[in-house]
Amino acid sequence: MTTTRLVFDAAAVVALLFAAVMVLHRHPAKSVLSLVVSFFALATCYVLLTAPFIAAIQVIVYAGAILVLFLFVIMLLNVQQEEHRGDPHPIQRVLSGAALLLFGAMLFGLLRSHGGAGLPSDSSPIPDPDDLAAIARLLFSDYLLPFEALSVLLLAALVGAFVLARREKAS
Amino acid sequence: MISGIPLSDVLLVSGGLFVIGLAGALLRRNAITIFLSIELMMNGANLALLGYGAALHSLEGQIVVFFVIAIAAAEASVGLAIFVALFRHTETIDVNEIHLLKW
Amino acid sequence: MNVPLWLVPALPLAGFLICGVLGKKLGKSFVSAVGVGSVGLATVAAYSRLLPFVFGSRAPVVETVGGWIAAGSFSVDIAFRLDALSALMTSFVTFVGFWIHVYSIGYMRHDESDAGYARYFAYLNLFMFSMLTLVLAQNFLLLFVGWEGVGLCSYLLIGYYYEREYAAAAGKKAFVVNRIGDFGFLLGMFGLFGLFQSLDFDRVFSTAAADPARYAPFLTVVALCLFVGAVGKSAQVPLYVWLPDAMAGPTPVSALIHAATMVTAGVYIVTRCNVLFRLAPDAMAVVAVIGAITAIFAAVIALAQNDIKKVLAYSTVSQLGYMFLACGVGAYVAGMFHVMTHAFFKACLFLGSGSVIHAMGGEQDMRKMGGLKSKLPLTYWTFLIATLALAGIPPLAGFFSKDTILAGVFEHQRYVLWGIGIVTAGLTAFYMFRLVSLTFEGKFRGTHEQEHHLHESPPSMTTPLLILAALSVIGGFVGVPKVIREVFGSAREQNAIERFLSPIFVPLEESVEHALGAGTEWLLIAISVVAAVTGLLLGWNWYAKQDGRIPARIAATFPTLYELVEDKFDVDEAYDFLFVRPFNWLARMLWKVVDVLIIDGLLNAGAFLVELTGDLLRFLQTGNVRNYALTFFLGVVGLLLIVIGFTY
Repeated sequence: MTTTRLVFDAAAVVALLFAAVMVLHRHPAKSVLSLVVSFFALATCYVLLTAPFIAAIQVIVYAGAILVLFLFVIMLLNVQQEEHRGDPHPIQRVLSGAALLLFGAMLFGLLRSHGGAGLPSDSSPIPDPDDLAAIARLLFSDYLLPFEALSVLLLAALVGAFVLARREKAS
Repeated sequence: MISGIPLSDVLLVSGGLFVIGLAGALLRRNAITIFLSIELMMNGANLALLGYGAALHSLEGQIVVFFVIAIAAAEASVGLAIFVALFRHTETIDVNEIHLLKW
Repeated sequence: MNVPLWLVPALPLAGFLICGVLGKKLGKSFVSAVGVGSVGLATVAAYSRLLPFVFGSRAPVVETVGGWIAAGSFSVDIAFRLDALSALMTSFVTFVGFWIHVYSIGYMRHDESDAGYARYFAYLNLFMFSMLTLVLAQNFLLLFVGWEGVGLCSYLLIGYYYEREYAAAAGKKAFVVNRIGDFGFLLGMFGLFGLFQSLDFDRVFSTAAADPARYAPFLTVVALCLFVGAVGKSAQVPLYVWLPDAMAGPTPVSALIHAATMVTAGVYIVTRCNVLFRLAPDAMAVVAVIGAITAIFAAVIALAQNDIKKVLAYSTVSQLGYMFLACGVGAYVAGMFHVMTHAFFKACLFLGSGSVIHAMGGEQDMRKMGGLKSKLPLTYWTFLIATLALAGIPPLAGFFSKDTILAGVFEHQRYVLWGIGIVTAGLTAFYMFRLVSLTFEGKFRGTHEQEHHLHESPPSMTTPLLILAALSVIGGFVGVPKVIREVFGSAREQNAIERFLSPIFVPLEESVEHALGAGTEWLLIAISVVAAVTGLLLGWNWYAKQDGRIPARIAATFPTLYELVEDKFDVDEAYDFLFVRPFNWLARMLWKVVDVLIIDGLLNAGAFLVELTGDLLRFLQTGNVRNYALTFFLGVVGLLLIVIGFTY
């Protein structure tokens, strides 16, 4: 058991725990905050998986922008605690639960038996985790088209969000 | 084995995150919580991608995750804008109550 | 430089197109010029080939214009044939047709609008095109094109006054009855192709003649099928019913189509296919019997008709019966001879009746006529000459042709049919002189205004009458029988027309006919003349001299019989009961039950099912997002199960 593995396991447990908290909490604001913690833990995992750049992106963009946006919206809409009303469609829960169990079982079974199998031997060189330029090089050569498309997508999202969320003009 | 972390562990965690997010998306009534659960599912996928990237000694995993995060940002903003617009009209965030597209 | 044969039908076709498209705008004079001119040019073109043919080489000529159908083993060309038979037909089709076109100018000018006038000449030209294609064709299929074309034009022209319901119905009737005949013709063509793998005349006839034993068994059926077509087109029993009603069309149409040309197409086809018929004696027997029955049956009906055109119509049916009788016993030359002479005098009679009707302001009932002799002298004299010809009085044309037929029938030892022929000849003379007496002799029985309106027709109408009457006089001299010619010093075995048409009849292994002795021939001539003269005198006496007292008494004594004859033996009513009503019932059944209930019902049921499915499926759209998400997820789980199942 190396240190990396230990730290990874710890961070993973934290991430899973707070994810569960997020799902279970009644108040959406608190859910967001738990998810923030979970994302931080995940960022640690990413670092341990020799992806520091992604970890940084995770913290800055995912935790720091997207979830903050969620908080803004919660506050804007003044979302209250979810009320304890009876579920009018209990069948939904039953079915969902059953399907989830089945799915989970399948997933873990699969991962147990095949996770890690069929991978090539470690003959290729391990990429340097500190070499940011390598990622940049890939982005601007092999993945140039998706990159540019992404920028267009972001523009579209920007315009779309703007149009969707504005108030109707009083006629 | 990437720096001591077995891939199967990574995948287990990733699967776990995914299942938790799925459960949240199916079983919660609060619209915002459902959305957050979806984000969680995406993170699970991200972790799996990075795990394989590390195992295969390739940078492509990171590239894909990069794109996923960017797209998640776009999707979140648009989705929240939709929520805002919808909830101005209906004043509820309980998904069960919203059935405008019912037959 | 030879005028190509295809030009002869093509000229009237051009006339049709021009009059049809431009005629309405360009006025009656233009239409007259083009409509009559096209036929005139066609006549000239035809004769430019006919005269060298008749007086020079009489070898058959085939001119192929081009390929038409080539589908595997079935190939048909557009090819025209000039031989003795087609030459004979073309000669009078063009000539008589031309004069009838001229007559039409005077007849149609006043009553019709520019559009109607143009339409008339367009259709008439189209008819000439079809008829000429029919007689000049080198193969059965091209002939059939003409065959159908004349049927179509008959329909169009009978129904020319389409605003009159009777005329429209008569046109339809003609077309439908013709169609029945055409069906038989088609079956015959199929049979011919099946037997000979060709529809070309030369191929079919030479193949059949070369191996009679092999083909003869089938030829009876094929020949009868073709004869069914002839029965329809040439108005024989039982498909004659359309011809009397066809009189609803303008009188020149009746003259051209229903006397001189179209109705002879049946006789033409039988003569053209003489090889086939002669190899199928049973078919020939049927032809002869039907011809004889038709001849006498129609003559009897004509006795009691009061419409001048109806009498002539039934007379045409009867005379066509004579032609088929001749062909049926093997006297093909006699039949074709009668076709030609009949064209002359019958056309003259119809045009004359048109002149009378024109003068009477449209009246066609003979009981309202009388004494027109003095008012319409030209019409009267030409009419009389043509009547004498039709009655078979020597030395006019009809005598020679009819006598040749009767002699031929007797020669082939068909004595019963000969007897029928003689009686019919007597009846023919009788009813024709009844017609002449009622129309032209005695006192005028019409109204005062009609009397004032009476006038002789213009030259455009009387000139054709004169020409046709002249032909009725001299037209018979090409077919003078041997015994008479010997009197005038000719020693030839065959007369002109026999020599002319003999190449048409390929020698087959037939029984040698017994030629009649000179004495028998003179006796037969005498009998037929006596019959004709008797009928003539009786008719004239009863109707002109005695003002119809005796016939009136006979009609009063046998009222039911008289009415039966006057009502043409109720044949139309019988057909209506036997055929028309069941078909109407069937049509209504197919409509109301099969189409509306079953077919529409099936379609509606299909649409209903789709709607039902949609109605049921829409319950999936709950509007609840969680349900949708769950459905997604369940689908994914299902797919995974399948994939895992397959992998293990």
